[in-house]
Amino acid sequence: MKKIKDERLILKNLQNVRTAYIIQTIGILGILGYDLFTKGMEGMRQNPLWIVFMITTIVSVYLSMNISVDHESSEKSPKKGTVLSLLILTAISVIIGIAVNFTNGFGILDGLIMGGIIFVCGLIPILYIRYLRIKRQEENLDE
Amino acid sequence: MENNVKIARIQANLTQQQLAEKIGVTRQTISLIEKGKYNPTLKLCLDICYAVHKTLDEIFWVEKESGMK
Repeated sequence: MKKIKDERLILKNLQNVRTAYIIQTIGILGILGYDLFTKGMEGMRQNPLWIVFMITTIVSVYLSMNISVDHESSEKSPKKGTVLSLLILTAISVIIGIAVNFTNGFGILDGLIMGGIIFVCGLIPILYIRYLRIKRQEENLDE
Repeated sequence: MENNVKIARIQANLTQQQLAEKIGVTRQTISLIEKGKYNPTLKLCLDICYAVHKTLDEIFWVEKESGMK
């Protein structure tokens, strides 16, 4: 098989992949929805398709950050945005940590772990957005 | 988008197939460009221009009013 060099066909191929992806996602959602009805939330999570679905969603969210950074109309300062996001994230992590700490059956350690996990999970996208904004600013400086 | 690819191609004495092979695309793509049904990238536009020995202006320039279908 020859490699396709025609740009129109490459584009068409991408559009076909998109259609297939949509159908696949509908299928996965259908199977997971069926599991949710018949086996409940826990039963649905035991299905490996759940992990596939979550990973695809996360990847797609990260990829769409690339687009949203370019889409921002005003030139946001990466530093200001990062500091603000970090403050909010810290507040949320601390509140959840404290809430877990005072829940029956959980101790200080659980609160720390829970807050820490949420902090780390939130930190990664914030740093990624910061990296994208800095990169875009550098690109704009070249003009 | 309207363009003069067909006229330029005939002037250069090429068939759609020959032009397509010269640029490295399929004949259908050339046909769609000539009909104005496919919007080629700038790179492909340039390749077409080189193949028929014309400038971008001569082949792809359209006045603002008539250009948008």
